[in-house]
Amino acid sequence: MPAASSSPVRVVVLGGGTAGWMTATGLAKLLPGTVEVQLVESEDIGIVGVGEATLPHIRAFVERLGIDEAAFMKATHATYKLGINFRDFGRIGESYIHPFGSFGEEVAGVGFHHWWLELQRQGKADPIGEYSLAVAAAKANRFAPPAQDNTLASTYGYAYQFDATLFGPFMRDIGLANGVTRHEGLVTSVERDGPSGDIACLVLKDGRRIEGDLFVDCSGFRSMLLGQECEEEWEDWTHWLPCDRAAAMPCTHETSDIRPYTTATAMPAGWRWQIPLQHRMGNGYVFSSAHISEDEACQAIRDAAEGVPLADPRVLRFRPGRRKRSWSRNVIGVGLASGFLEPLESTSIYLAQMAITYLIELFPESGRIDKRDRDEFNRLVDMEYDRVRDFLILHYHATQRDDSDFWNHVRTMEVPASLADKLELWRKAGRIEKYSDGLFYDASWIAVYVGQGLLPERHDPRPALVDPARVASALGTLKQAIGSEVAAMSGHVDFLAREAARLATPA
Amino acid sequence: MSEAREPLNRVCVAGGGQVGVLAAIAVKRALPTCEVMVLGLPPDPVDFADHAASALPFTNKLHDRLGISEQAIIARAGGSHRLITRYIGWGGQGHYGALSYGAGGEADAAAFAREWGGGSRGNSGVRPAGSLAEALADAGRFRAPPPGEQTPLAEIDYALRWSPSAYHAQLIGEAQRLGVTHIEGTLARIEPDGVGGIAALNLAGNTTIAADLFIDCSGAQAHLLSALPDHRAQDWSDVLPQRRLLFAPPGEPLLALEDRIALLPEGWLLECAGRGGLQTVLCTAPDIGEDALLRALGTAPVYDARLAAGRAQAAWIGNVVALGDAATRFEPLGFLHLDLAHRMLALLLEILPGQSIEPLERAEFNRRAGLMMDGVRDTLAVHYAAPRATQVFGSTVQPEGVTRSIDQFTRRGRLPFCEEHPLLGQERMSLLRALGFAQGVRPQDRTSGFRNAEAARKAFEAKTSAALADTAPYGEWMTAQLQPRR
Repeated sequence: MPAASSSPVRVVVLGGGTAGWMTATGLAKLLPGTVEVQLVESEDIGIVGVGEATLPHIRAFVERLGIDEAAFMKATHATYKLGINFRDFGRIGESYIHPFGSFGEEVAGVGFHHWWLELQRQGKADPIGEYSLAVAAAKANRFAPPAQDNTLASTYGYAYQFDATLFGPFMRDIGLANGVTRHEGLVTSVERDGPSGDIACLVLKDGRRIEGDLFVDCSGFRSMLLGQECEEEWEDWTHWLPCDRAAAMPCTHETSDIRPYTTATAMPAGWRWQIPLQHRMGNGYVFSSAHISEDEACQAIRDAAEGVPLADPRVLRFRPGRRKRSWSRNVIGVGLASGFLEPLESTSIYLAQMAITYLIELFPESGRIDKRDRDEFNRLVDMEYDRVRDFLILHYHATQRDDSDFWNHVRTMEVPASLADKLELWRKAGRIEKYSDGLFYDASWIAVYVGQGLLPERHDPRPALVDPARVASALGTLKQAIGSEVAAMSGHVDFLAREAARLATPA
Repeated sequence: MSEAREPLNRVCVAGGGQVGVLAAIAVKRALPTCEVMVLGLPPDPVDFADHAASALPFTNKLHDRLGISEQAIIARAGGSHRLITRYIGWGGQGHYGALSYGAGGEADAAAFAREWGGGSRGNSGVRPAGSLAEALADAGRFRAPPPGEQTPLAEIDYALRWSPSAYHAQLIGEAQRLGVTHIEGTLARIEPDGVGGIAALNLAGNTTIAADLFIDCSGAQAHLLSALPDHRAQDWSDVLPQRRLLFAPPGEPLLALEDRIALLPEGWLLECAGRGGLQTVLCTAPDIGEDALLRALGTAPVYDARLAAGRAQAAWIGNVVALGDAATRFEPLGFLHLDLAHRMLALLLEILPGQSIEPLERAEFNRRAGLMMDGVRDTLAVHYAAPRATQVFGSTVQPEGVTRSIDQFTRRGRLPFCEEHPLLGQERMSLLRALGFAQGVRPQDRTSGFRNAEAARKAFEAKTSAALADTAPYGEWMTAQLQPRR
């Protein structure tokens, strides 16, 4: 029932995983007085806790909630992340880093990669990653926060690699301190409002009734409210993204150094991740069950993982795709309940954060939902999902691998038209289809295209008109400057230790 | 292995107005080995971009890139600065609003901006400035700080005005210096190249101009683009019905930091100041008597035009790229003509083809240029959707994006992002407020925003005082600028 405009809107969050507690805490903290948040979770249901690696956007979320970065990092055993190292994707034995940062900079209005392509044609260029500060720092296992000016030191960003099973509880503590009510229990039935069909109440196993105006479905893959109760249609993307399982297995660190980047290594039927945290190494194999059995995959991750296993491999099942509408009636899906894109580019937590941000902007403060806001929410969420989807497909499709059925399928499959056009524009002219909204801009596309060996046939005419010695010298100077910047940075482990010490010292 | 493309050897720019000459400069600078020629064609009075005495801040950045000196525009082309466009009467009789530029400078805390930055307070008469630019314009004080100087003035984005003939001459000088050639002529025949584009232009008197790429800057007549078999026009009359424009003769020179767009019962009246003389245009509302129109304009018009708005479906066909007015027609409301031409030029520079043109490259240009043109249409449509404008001009079809923007702004206090829009997000908000739309309260501001409002107001006042103290009256500063340097 709609609340009177003066009384707070009753929000019920179903699910106490990462998305659930991010939502509950985000709403309570950013809409105080407007909302009354209750969260229902059950100890009988585990959390997926995928998404140990994040994107730089998470920093804005943490900051907006007024959380001290160092405290947050300590609680979640977080490390810094400058990008993702992709191994064996384009071809076995090759690797590249997709950095949170740029490669060089535009010269005379011509994108850096055209200059690099020209020099590369002349056999005078180093790999493109050598012209990225983020890549160079990552490779050197060093870290420093980026500068805030327009200098070279400002040409990158960073994110975190953290223990997702600790992130939820960390958010929970803040949520509880900010007035979120937590209910422990299993939901056994859902009551709907007769005339509107809206969800009115969740009934728990012990008979408790949790009533609300707005329900946020964070029940994970089950999508109990949005999928099961509202029967919101699912758009399946398995054809393009055939991976539908993950076998996760944490291990000890094998060295004293901690890499400030995530590693994704292509495997015969998918890829495996290595996410270095402060206290352990996250490992897992994301695979296609059509191409390898669960047992085989578990064995493969045991064989591949470095370090001592801290547990047996745990298999997670998922389906790539999304609900046609993430907001239906008075139910909003956040996180896996709304859609799933495999963690190849660490987008899971971003997608939850994005939905929460839009939900806050479009929040029905009176308790009455305006169709225009719901449509706007769904439009924005769709755009984000579609853009991420195309970028993920690129990682599989832009390959020369022909060593397994899996790679043969993804290499030869038909891709969405939106991606096919982008690919063709790159192939023919070395240009990136431009957009300013959503995730993954020029530098990201260039990193993957070039990194996976997909060089264009032609590039911009202008770099060839300039004296090659001058171009080579300019690129050499840039490389040198990057070298000096990296040399001035601390080692990643040292930086983490200093931050920990800073936090331990009373101000 | 990626190969560099064969660069363009010969580029012909059709149209020798200020758009065409700048396009020629841009291509010549990008491709010094290319032979670039400008074909001067007789201009038309509705080639607004070619006659424009002002643009938007984007043009300053483009000028900078192309080596067109801002100081030279000030010193020799009658240049002056516009900090704001004052909107008068759009939100109701006596309503004042101001559009200022840039992402910063706005009195930032949302609640504060709403309380102080115009909107509903407009009728009270006492209305503190909503942006630093507006505060300076109100005080008539300004100076353009040199790059790198630490001053609150550095965050102000401004537009330049100039005397079109002097600015045109400055561009011609620069083009000549770079080696751009110039031919004056009358187009007799266009030789097709058999693949949808142009092989050569035949001029009266047996001159033939062949080129790899033709840039159509011939204004509303779009001499080249409109001659192509694949050219299709897109009609905007449902959104922007045909309207009549009356142009006053140039007025007295006027040095001011603001221009004005007033909504009168007779239509909207644009007054653009400038050292070359005040320019006044009236866009007439339907069913107004001639006498009333003349009274509104203040004088007899020197030019009387009717304009049917629309755009080319594709601005780039074959080897012909149309820029600005050659691809789009719309009324001169808000200095958008030259801005659009310049943004399309920058896009062409970004996607500069080789001798061979990739169809997908052309498609990408057309996709983005299409967004730019539609962004202009939507910006104009927002004006006509303003509370009082619908009374003066009547209602018209509203593009979906405009409806969504106004709805989200007024109810939710936010704006959906628009790719390739002529105005930045903050500027679009500033425009909506200036037009009398009251900004809704963002949910996250309900508590924190109001709490922060007082602090934001104090910070803004401090910044404004510092900026005012750091400036002299604009006329004094300008006079000093124009002193011959010793």
